[in-house]
Amino acid sequence: MNSSPPGVHIIRKDAQITSELTRNLFHKNLAKVEPPHQLKFLHTTLSRSGLEEFFDDPKNWGEKTVKSGDAWNIKQLRGKSSEDLHKLWYVLLKEKNMLLTLEQESKRQQRPMPSPERLEKVQKSMKNIDLVVKERETALRLLQTGHEKPVPGEWRNDFLGRTYWYTYKEWPIPWYLNKKYKKRKFFYLPHVNHFIRLRLEKHLCVRARRQNLEKKRQKVLHMKFPHLAVKSQSQ
Amino acid sequence: MLAVRPGVPQPEDTVQFRVSMEMTKVDIKNYLEKIYNVPVAAVRTRIQYGANNKKNHKNQRVKKPDYKVAYVQLGKGQTFQFPNLFPEKEQDEEARSFDDFRKKYLEKEQQIQKGDPRRGGVPDWFGL
Repeated sequence: MNSSPPGVHIIRKDAQITSELTRNLFHKNLAKVEPPHQLKFLHTTLSRSGLEEFFDDPKNWGEKTVKSGDAWNIKQLRGKSSEDLHKLWYVLLKEKNMLLTLEQESKRQQRPMPSPERLEKVQKSMKNIDLVVKERETALRLLQTGHEKPVPGEWRNDFLGRTYWYTYKEWPIPWYLNKKYKKRKFFYLPHVNHFIRLRLEKHLCVRARRQNLEKKRQKVLHMKFPHLAVKSQSQ
Repeated sequence: MLAVRPGVPQPEDTVQFRVSMEMTKVDIKNYLEKIYNVPVAAVRTRIQYGANNKKNHKNQRVKKPDYKVAYVQLGKGQTFQFPNLFPEKEQDEEARSFDDFRKKYLEKEQQIQKGDPRRGGVPDWFGL
Protein backbone atom coordinates (compact mmCIF):
# COMPACT_ATOMS: atom_id res chain seq x y z
CA MET A 1 0.00 0.00 0.00
CA ASN A 2 2.44 2.60 1.16
CA SER A 3 5.11 1.84 -1.41
CA SER A 4 7.11 4.97 -0.83
CA PRO A 5 10.90 4.57 -0.82
CA PRO A 6 12.62 5.19 2.53
CA GLY A 7 13.59 8.75 3.26
CA VAL A 8 10.74 10.36 1.32
CA HIS A 9 8.08 12.12 3.39
CA ILE A 10 4.65 11.77 1.88
CA ILE A 11 1.84 12.51 4.27
CA ARG A 12 -1.44 10.77 3.43
CA LYS A 13 -4.59 12.01 5.03
CA ASP A 14 -7.93 10.23 4.41
CA ALA A 15 -6.76 8.92 1.03
CA GLN A 16 -6.24 12.51 -0.08
CA ILE A 17 -2.67 13.43 -0.72
CA THR A 18 -1.82 16.70 0.89
CA SER A 19 1.65 18.03 1.49
CA GLU A 20 1.81 19.64 4.89
CA LEU A 21 4.53 21.84 6.12
CA THR A 22 6.31 19.67 8.67
CA ARG A 23 8.04 21.69 11.33
CA ASN A 24 9.91 18.68 12.57
CA LEU A 25 12.76 19.80 14.77
CA PHE A 26 14.53 16.44 14.71
CA HIS A 27 15.01 16.04 10.94
CA LYS A 28 16.71 18.62 8.79
CA ASN A 29 14.09 20.51 6.84
CA LEU A 30 15.38 19.26 3.51
CA ALA A 31 12.54 16.80 2.92
CA LYS A 32 12.59 15.67 -0.69
CA VAL A 33 9.07 16.28 -1.91
CA GLU A 34 8.24 13.77 -4.64
CA PRO A 35 5.02 13.91 -6.59
CA PRO A 36 2.71 11.00 -5.71
CA HIS A 37 2.43 7.97 -8.04
CA GLN A 38 -0.73 8.96 -9.82
CA LEU A 39 0.53 12.44 -10.75
CA LYS A 40 4.10 11.48 -11.58
CA PHE A 41 3.61 11.57 -15.33
CA LEU A 42 1.62 14.78 -15.32
CA HIS A 43 3.98 17.67 -16.00
CA THR A 44 2.27 20.99 -15.68
CA THR A 45 3.84 24.02 -17.32
CA LEU A 46 4.00 27.65 -16.25
CA SER A 47 0.67 28.44 -17.86
CA ARG A 48 -1.15 26.07 -15.48
CA SER A 49 -0.01 27.68 -12.23
CA GLY A 50 -0.58 31.22 -11.00
CA LEU A 51 3.13 32.01 -11.21
CA GLU A 52 2.56 33.64 -14.60
CA GLU A 53 1.00 36.53 -12.68
CA PHE A 54 4.49 37.46 -11.50
CA PHE A 55 5.26 38.41 -15.07
CA ASP A 56 3.71 40.76 -17.56
CA ASP A 57 1.71 39.74 -20.61
CA PRO A 58 4.19 37.81 -22.85
CA LYS A 59 3.43 40.26 -25.68
CA ASN A 60 5.07 43.01 -23.64
CA TRP A 61 8.32 41.15 -23.03
CA GLY A 62 11.20 42.91 -24.80
CA GLU A 63 9.26 46.13 -25.50
CA LYS A 64 10.90 49.46 -24.80
CA THR A 65 7.78 51.09 -23.31
CA VAL A 66 4.50 49.70 -22.03
CA LYS A 67 1.43 51.94 -22.03
CA SER A 68 -0.40 52.33 -18.74
CA GLY A 69 -3.16 54.55 -17.41
CA ASP A 70 -3.01 57.11 -14.62
CA ALA A 71 -2.90 56.30 -10.89
CA TRP A 72 -6.14 56.04 -8.93
CA ASN A 73 -7.21 59.40 -7.49
CA ILE A 74 -8.56 59.69 -3.91
CA LYS A 75 -11.75 61.27 -5.26
CA GLN A 76 -12.32 58.33 -7.59
CA LEU A 77 -11.66 55.84 -4.80
CA ARG A 78 -14.01 57.52 -2.33
CA GLY A 79 -16.90 56.59 -4.61
CA LYS A 80 -16.05 52.87 -4.56
CA SER A 81 -17.51 50.33 -2.12
CA SER A 82 -15.34 48.57 0.46
CA GLU A 83 -15.53 45.28 -1.46
CA ASP A 84 -14.34 46.98 -4.63
CA LEU A 85 -11.47 48.61 -2.73
CA HIS A 86 -10.52 45.23 -1.25
CA LYS A 87 -10.38 43.63 -4.70
CA LEU A 88 -8.52 46.61 -6.15
CA TRP A 89 -5.95 46.41 -3.37
CA TYR A 90 -5.07 42.82 -4.31
CA VAL A 91 -4.99 43.61 -8.02
CA LEU A 92 -2.56 46.46 -7.28
CA LEU A 93 -0.51 44.20 -5.00
CA LYS A 94 -0.07 41.61 -7.75
CA GLU A 95 0.80 44.36 -10.24
CA LYS A 96 3.40 45.74 -7.82
CA ASN A 97 4.95 42.28 -7.40
CA MET A 98 5.10 41.92 -11.18
CA LEU A 99 6.80 45.30 -11.59
CA LEU A 100 9.31 44.59 -8.83
CA THR A 101 10.14 41.25 -10.49
CA LEU A 102 10.66 43.07 -13.79
CA GLU A 103 12.85 45.70 -12.11
CA GLN A 104 15.11 43.10 -10.51
CA GLU A 105 15.37 41.10 -13.74
CA SER A 106 16.26 44.22 -15.72
CA LYS A 107 19.01 45.00 -13.19
CA ARG A 108 20.26 41.42 -13.55
CA GLN A 109 20.28 41.54 -17.35
CA GLN A 110 21.65 45.10 -17.31
CA ARG A 111 18.82 46.38 -19.46
CA PRO A 112 16.56 49.39 -18.95
CA MET A 113 13.24 48.58 -17.31
CA PRO A 114 10.32 49.37 -19.67
CA SER A 115 8.19 52.21 -18.21
CA PRO A 116 9.33 52.38 -14.57
CA GLU A 117 6.72 55.06 -13.82
CA ARG A 118 4.17 52.24 -13.47
CA LEU A 119 5.65 51.38 -10.07
CA GLU A 120 5.13 54.92 -8.78
CA LYS A 121 1.55 54.94 -10.05
CA VAL A 122 0.80 51.65 -8.29
CA GLN A 123 2.37 52.84 -5.03
CA LYS A 124 0.41 56.09 -5.17
CA SER A 125 -2.84 54.20 -5.81
CA MET A 126 -2.21 51.86 -2.87
CA LYS A 127 -1.46 54.81 -0.61
CA ASN A 128 -4.69 56.47 -1.69
CA ILE A 129 -6.71 53.31 -0.95
CA ASP A 130 -5.11 53.18 2.50
CA LEU A 131 -6.10 56.81 3.14
CA VAL A 132 -9.68 56.22 2.04
CA VAL A 133 -10.02 53.15 4.26
CA LYS A 134 -8.55 55.07 7.21
CA GLU A 135 -11.04 57.91 6.62
CA ARG A 136 -13.95 55.46 6.65
CA GLU A 137 -12.64 53.79 9.80
CA THR A 138 -12.31 57.12 11.66
CA ALA A 139 -15.84 58.09 10.59
CA LEU A 140 -17.24 54.79 11.92
CA ARG A 141 -15.24 55.08 15.12
CA LEU A 142 -16.44 58.64 15.70
CA LEU A 143 -20.04 57.57 15.30
CA GLN A 144 -19.71 54.47 17.46
CA THR A 145 -17.38 55.59 20.23
CA GLY A 146 -16.78 59.31 19.77
CA HIS A 147 -12.99 58.83 19.48
CA GLU A 148 -11.13 59.91 16.40
CA LYS A 149 -7.91 57.94 16.90
CA PRO A 150 -7.71 54.17 17.32
CA VAL A 151 -5.18 54.48 20.16
CA PRO A 152 -5.71 57.10 22.91
CA GLY A 153 -3.01 59.68 23.55
CA GLU A 154 -2.28 63.26 24.59
CA TRP A 155 -0.05 66.23 23.78
CA ARG A 156 3.12 66.26 25.88
CA ASN A 157 6.30 68.34 26.11
CA ASP A 158 9.70 66.74 26.10
CA PHE A 159 12.73 68.01 28.01
CA LEU A 160 13.78 70.14 25.00
CA GLY A 161 10.52 72.09 24.99
CA ARG A 162 9.09 70.37 21.89
CA THR A 163 5.39 69.47 21.92
CA TYR A 164 4.43 66.08 20.44
CA TRP A 165 1.54 63.59 20.42
CA TYR A 166 2.25 60.80 22.91
CA THR A 167 0.28 57.58 22.29
CA TYR A 168 -0.49 55.46 25.34
CA LYS A 169 1.24 52.10 25.40
CA GLU A 170 0.16 48.89 27.11
CA TRP A 171 2.26 48.07 30.16
CA PRO A 172 2.04 45.15 32.63
CA ILE A 173 2.78 47.52 35.56
CA PRO A 174 1.58 51.05 36.43
CA TRP A 175 3.82 54.01 35.52
CA TYR A 176 4.85 54.75 39.11
CA LEU A 177 6.49 51.29 39.36
CA ASN A 178 8.29 51.67 36.00
CA LYS A 179 11.86 52.85 36.74
CA LYS A 180 12.82 53.58 33.12
CA TYR A 181 9.62 55.53 32.50
CA LYS A 182 10.09 57.63 35.62
CA LYS A 183 13.49 58.75 34.31
CA ARG A 184 11.79 60.27 31.23
CA LYS A 185 10.98 63.96 31.64
CA PHE A 186 7.70 65.21 30.18
CA PHE A 187 8.29 68.82 31.20
CA TYR A 188 10.96 71.43 30.55
CA LEU A 189 12.72 73.84 32.88
CA PRO A 190 12.62 77.66 32.41
CA HIS A 191 16.17 77.86 30.93
CA VAL A 192 14.87 76.08 27.82
CA ASN A 193 12.61 79.02 26.83
CA HIS A 194 15.56 80.82 25.21
CA PHE A 195 16.19 77.82 22.93
CA ILE A 196 12.49 77.46 22.09
CA ARG A 197 12.57 81.06 20.87
CA LEU A 198 15.68 80.39 18.79
CA ARG A 199 14.11 77.27 17.27
CA LEU A 200 10.96 79.24 16.40
CA GLU A 201 13.06 81.96 14.77
CA LYS A 202 14.93 79.38 12.71
CA HIS A 203 11.68 77.78 11.57
CA LEU A 204 10.22 81.16 10.57
CA CYS A 205 13.42 82.15 8.73
CA VAL A 206 13.43 78.91 6.75
CA ARG A 207 9.76 79.33 5.88
CA ALA A 208 10.24 82.95 4.80
CA ARG A 209 13.27 81.97 2.68
CA ARG A 210 11.28 79.23 0.94
CA GLN A 211 8.35 81.57 0.22
CA ASN A 212 10.64 84.32 -1.11
CA LEU A 213 12.40 81.86 -3.38
CA GLU A 214 9.06 80.66 -4.74
CA LYS A 215 7.97 84.25 -5.42
CA LYS A 216 11.25 85.07 -7.20
CA ARG A 217 10.95 81.95 -9.37
CA GLN A 218 7.39 82.88 -10.34
CA LYS A 219 8.54 86.43 -11.24
CA VAL A 220 11.34 85.11 -13.45
CA LEU A 221 8.93 82.74 -15.21
CA HIS A 222 6.43 85.57 -15.66
CA MET A 223 9.11 87.70 -17.33
CA LYS A 224 10.33 84.87 -19.57
CA PHE A 225 6.90 83.57 -20.64
CA PRO A 226 4.36 86.44 -20.37
CA HIS A 227 1.94 84.67 -22.72
CA LEU A 228 1.55 81.78 -20.22
CA ALA A 229 0.62 84.05 -17.27
CA VAL A 230 -2.56 83.10 -15.39
CA LYS A 231 -5.13 85.81 -15.95
CA SER A 232 -6.70 87.10 -12.72
CA GLN A 233 -10.37 86.37 -12.07
CA SER A 234 -11.23 89.99 -11.15
CA GLN A 235 -13.69 91.67 -13.50
CA MET B 1 7.50 39.59 -2.81
CA LEU B 2 9.22 39.28 -6.18
CA ALA B 3 10.26 36.26 -8.24
CA VAL B 4 13.99 36.20 -8.93
CA ARG B 5 16.19 34.37 -11.42
CA PRO B 6 18.31 31.95 -9.36
CA GLY B 7 22.03 32.61 -9.43
CA VAL B 8 22.80 28.93 -8.82
CA PRO B 9 20.80 26.42 -10.95
CA GLN B 10 17.88 25.14 -8.88
CA PRO B 11 15.81 21.94 -9.31
CA GLU B 12 12.89 22.26 -11.69
CA ASP B 13 10.18 22.53 -9.08
CA THR B 14 11.92 25.27 -7.07
CA VAL B 15 11.07 28.94 -7.47
CA GLN B 16 13.22 31.61 -5.87
CA PHE B 17 11.63 34.72 -4.30
CA ARG B 18 12.79 37.79 -2.44
CA VAL B 19 10.37 38.50 0.37
CA SER B 20 9.95 40.96 3.21
CA MET B 21 12.19 40.30 6.21
CA GLU B 22 9.24 39.79 8.53
CA MET B 23 7.63 37.00 6.46
CA THR B 24 7.84 33.44 7.79
CA LYS B 25 7.71 30.16 5.85
CA VAL B 26 4.08 29.64 6.82
CA ASP B 27 3.27 33.22 5.77
CA ILE B 28 4.88 32.68 2.37
CA LYS B 29 3.00 29.42 1.84
CA ASN B 30 -0.34 31.00 2.70
CA TYR B 31 0.42 34.09 0.60
CA LEU B 32 1.15 32.07 -2.52
CA GLU B 33 -1.70 29.66 -2.04
CA LYS B 34 -4.37 32.25 -1.31
CA ILE B 35 -3.37 35.18 -3.52
CA TYR B 36 -1.71 33.42 -6.46
CA ASN B 37 -3.42 30.00 -6.16
CA VAL B 38 -0.07 28.22 -6.44
CA PRO B 39 0.23 24.79 -4.73
CA VAL B 40 3.20 24.95 -2.38
CA ALA B 41 4.88 21.83 -1.03
CA ALA B 42 7.78 23.26 0.96
CA VAL B 43 9.40 26.61 1.70
CA ARG B 44 12.95 27.29 2.87
CA THR B 45 14.18 30.78 3.73
CA ARG B 46 17.46 32.51 4.43
CA ILE B 47 18.48 36.09 5.08
CA GLN B 48 21.02 37.59 2.71
CA TYR B 49 23.28 40.13 4.36
CA GLY B 50 23.85 43.25 2.24
CA ALA B 51 27.50 44.31 2.21
CA ASN B 52 28.71 47.51 3.91
CA ASN B 53 32.01 47.86 2.04
CA LYS B 54 31.30 50.43 -0.65
CA LYS B 55 32.05 54.08 0.06
CA ASN B 56 30.39 57.22 -1.29
CA HIS B 57 32.01 60.51 -2.33
CA LYS B 58 32.20 61.55 1.35
CA ASN B 59 34.17 58.37 2.18
CA GLN B 60 31.22 57.12 4.27
CA ARG B 61 30.33 53.46 4.13
CA VAL B 62 27.17 52.75 2.12
CA LYS B 63 25.17 49.71 3.15
CA LYS B 64 23.31 47.59 0.61
CA PRO B 65 19.95 46.55 2.13
CA ASP B 66 19.49 43.06 3.62
CA TYR B 67 16.78 40.86 2.15
CA LYS B 68 15.18 37.48 2.77
CA VAL B 69 15.31 34.82 0.04
CA ALA B 70 12.68 32.09 -0.09
CA TYR B 71 13.05 28.84 -2.04
CA VAL B 72 9.56 27.52 -2.74
CA GLN B 73 9.00 23.96 -3.94
CA LEU B 74 5.82 23.61 -5.95
CA GLY B 75 3.36 20.84 -5.26
CA LYS B 76 1.39 18.60 -7.63
CA GLY B 77 4.48 17.95 -9.78
CA GLN B 78 4.56 21.44 -11.25
CA THR B 79 7.75 22.80 -12.74
CA PHE B 80 8.91 26.35 -13.27
CA GLN B 81 11.56 27.85 -15.50
CA PHE B 82 12.35 31.55 -15.10
CA PRO B 83 11.39 33.09 -18.46
CA ASN B 84 13.47 35.40 -20.62
CA LEU B 85 11.82 38.78 -20.16
CA PHE B 86 13.98 40.55 -22.76
CA PRO B 87 13.73 38.55 -25.97
CA GLU B 88 15.13 40.02 -29.20
CA LYS B 89 12.31 41.77 -30.97
CA GLU B 90 11.94 43.02 -34.54
CA GLN B 91 12.98 46.63 -34.68
CA ASP B 92 10.96 49.07 -36.76
CA GLU B 93 12.53 51.00 -39.67
CA GLU B 94 13.42 54.05 -37.63
CA ALA B 95 15.21 52.03 -34.95
CA ARG B 96 17.05 49.97 -37.57
CA SER B 97 18.28 53.00 -39.50
CA PHE B 98 19.39 54.63 -36.24
CA ASP B 99 21.26 51.46 -35.26
CA ASP B 100 22.98 51.34 -38.68
CA PHE B 101 23.99 54.99 -38.39
CA ARG B 102 25.39 54.39 -34.90
CA LYS B 103 27.40 51.34 -36.06
CA LYS B 104 28.91 53.27 -38.98
CA TYR B 105 29.88 56.16 -36.69
CA LEU B 106 31.58 53.81 -34.20
CA GLU B 107 33.46 52.07 -37.00
CA LYS B 108 34.71 55.42 -38.27
CA GLU B 109 35.87 56.38 -34.78
CA GLN B 110 37.77 53.10 -34.41
CA GLN B 111 39.41 53.58 -37.81
CA ILE B 112 40.59 57.09 -36.89
CA GLN B 113 42.03 55.74 -33.63
CA LYS B 114 43.97 53.01 -35.48
CA GLY B 115 45.66 55.52 -37.72
CA ASP B 116 46.36 55.72 -41.44
CA PRO B 117 46.21 52.15 -42.92
CA ARG B 118 48.88 53.08 -45.49
CA ARG B 119 51.48 53.35 -42.71
CA GLY B 120 51.11 49.61 -41.95
CA GLY B 121 50.50 49.90 -38.19
CA VAL B 122 53.51 52.18 -37.52
CA PRO B 123 52.55 54.81 -34.89
CA ASP B 124 52.59 58.55 -35.64
CA TRP B 125 55.44 59.14 -33.16
CA PHE B 126 57.96 58.09 -35.81
CA GLY B 127 58.62 60.87 -38.32
CA LEU B 128 57.56 60.32 -41.92
